[in-house]
Amino acid sequence: MKKSPIVFTLSVLALAPMVLLTMSIKENKAEQQAIGAVPVIKENETRASEWGKHYPRQYDTYMQTRKSDEIADVLKQDPALVVMWAGYAFSKDYNKPRGHYYALEDNINTLRTGAPVDGKTGPLPTACWTCKSPDVPRLIKRDGEMEFFTGKWAKYGDEIVNPIGCGDCHDSSTMKLTLTRDYLKRGLEAEGRLKTADVTHQDMRSLVCAQCHAEYYFKKTEWDDKGEKKTAMVVTFPWKNGLSAENMEAYYDDYNFSDWTHQMSKTPMLKAQHPDYETFVTGVHYRNGLSCADCHMPYVREGGVKYSNHKIGSPLDNIANTCLNCHKGTEKEFRETVEKKLARKNELAKMATDVLAQAHLEAAKAWELGATEEEMKLALQDIRHGQWRWDYAVAGHGAFFHAPEETLRVLAGAINKGQDARLKLRIVLAKYNAADYVGPDFSTKEKAQAIIGLPFEKLIEEKKTFLNTLRQEWIKQSEAKGLYDPATRKDMVLKTSYN
Amino acid sequence: MKYLAIFSVVVVVGVFANLVNESKMLSYLSSDPKVCVNCHPMITHYETWQHSSHRDRATCIDCHLPRDTFVNKMLAKARDGYHHSVAMTFKTYGYNLRISADAAKRIQDNCISCHRENVSQMLANSALYEKVEDSGVQMGRRCWQCHRDVPHGTMRNLTATQNNFSVKVF
Repeated sequence: MKKSPIVFTLSVLALAPMVLLTMSIKENKAEQQAIGAVPVIKENETRASEWGKHYPRQYDTYMQTRKSDEIADVLKQDPALVVMWAGYAFSKDYNKPRGHYYALEDNINTLRTGAPVDGKTGPLPTACWTCKSPDVPRLIKRDGEMEFFTGKWAKYGDEIVNPIGCGDCHDSSTMKLTLTRDYLKRGLEAEGRLKTADVTHQDMRSLVCAQCHAEYYFKKTEWDDKGEKKTAMVVTFPWKNGLSAENMEAYYDDYNFSDWTHQMSKTPMLKAQHPDYETFVTGVHYRNGLSCADCHMPYVREGGVKYSNHKIGSPLDNIANTCLNCHKGTEKEFRETVEKKLARKNELAKMATDVLAQAHLEAAKAWELGATEEEMKLALQDIRHGQWRWDYAVAGHGAFFHAPEETLRVLAGAINKGQDARLKLRIVLAKYNAADYVGPDFSTKEKAQAIIGLPFEKLIEEKKTFLNTLRQEWIKQSEAKGLYDPATRKDMVLKTSYN
Repeated sequence: MKYLAIFSVVVVVGVFANLVNESKMLSYLSSDPKVCVNCHPMITHYETWQHSSHRDRATCIDCHLPRDTFVNKMLAKARDGYHHSVAMTFKTYGYNLRISADAAKRIQDNCISCHRENVSQMLANSALYEKVEDSGVQMGRRCWQCHRDVPHGTMRNLTATQNNFSVKVF
């Protein structure tokens, strides 16, 4: 009997199942790879609804930030601010923040951004878009950082059309948290406490927020655009000396920086912008290892699926799922505790604004009577420092809770500086026979705006024209470019402090 | 014909070698829990275990294979492996996997083997009132009928489990 045919037959018989099995294994592997793969979202996709196709729960909760839609006019609540910001855009319009969903809408609708008539008219620079949209990192990649920070706000009106969204914090290819704003990395490096190489995921759960929830200024930076000299206004964190109010104050003083010169008191002023991260890190929650997301984006379960709630807002809306994860006690007790903290802050903040507004008016009077720069210098320095400290303490979202001790300490400093200024000014006024001078009444927003001579009605008219013309153009153009998702403004009602 | 026979043997050896590689066959001789996630349906069980208090104390096989003799362990491994590969190849498993009676008995024995000191008195007491047909189930109940979430959690559906990031959840 020949062996060869038998060997051949057996081989073929063995071969068949082995080949089939190999194919089956290959098929399984391919399938698993497809299931386990991160869905493909194209690079620089800025429309949240596109990401939402793959992450419906995160998207749904994110969209619920539209429920935070109440406009609270802070200038009406405390008209002293109008006087304190005379000559600066904040005296025109200043509201409490609404949900992330409205970030862009409110930036466009506020009187602060004015009424440009084309891409080259002011009043504000492109930097004012920086925190409002995932279109910003897209444009920085496309045009380069220097070009992005050069020019007027209206330059990018038809490009920046999606409100704060997925692409601001997530990498579209891996979904990992990522820093899309380089100025934060530069700030961290300058400060030196946390090296970017050492950043953990838990750090990132705060740092993605710190990209915007931090104090910044626009640093004038000369650059060369293929032979043409240009000046960029680059968002910069003043963190080199540290994160406290005094550290930043010294930074600005050394650098001789001022955001604007006060229209009445002629003080070279500083404006603080929500130093949320800076104050949070002094508080007990940060020191116990918590991140922003732990309380502002608590985990929720839906059936068997666990995900982080992207309806970012006050944890007080959901005490049972935030505070009470770690603390004993009842919702009622927590609400009362937080309300007390807020009341203490408000008490000191009111004292500070009253003192500082009076100081501005008294300084204006002193100038009017012929005071010299030499006489005024020290008083103005006190106003500058006092108002900076007050602003640092209150401009943030919830610093009174994140860092109650620090907030009250800084406010106490603000009141003290303000009173120091008033003492010095009283001496100057006395010198010019006005020792008993009392500034005009600024007890309502209207009175305060009249004192600083703000043409409020005119500003509103211009703004409305802008909203009905150029703004509509922007929407049309961005839709034509395929950048704009109409869901962004679905059922949007124009809500402002002035209409 | 002779050359054809030789050629066919070479092909068989080649295909088998490839199969060994593709199926990670040799890895099944190891006791590393990662071997159990060679196939994706086990990812749920791997992830839930990895987030449980047992992860530093007991690996998959510490609970799921018999510990009395090496021969029994290898026989059980071969038997389970065969069932799993058939289920995997012909896709006969559902989203909620259930333990076999044989494997349940092994696990119960293994619970007791580690937690002997805790349960010795319970076992002694249970002998006084044990009224169940299956003498392998002391006290009429298995440990996990009360300790339901140890260690894989209460939710272990392949598509809907917490911490299970690798299986599609929607």
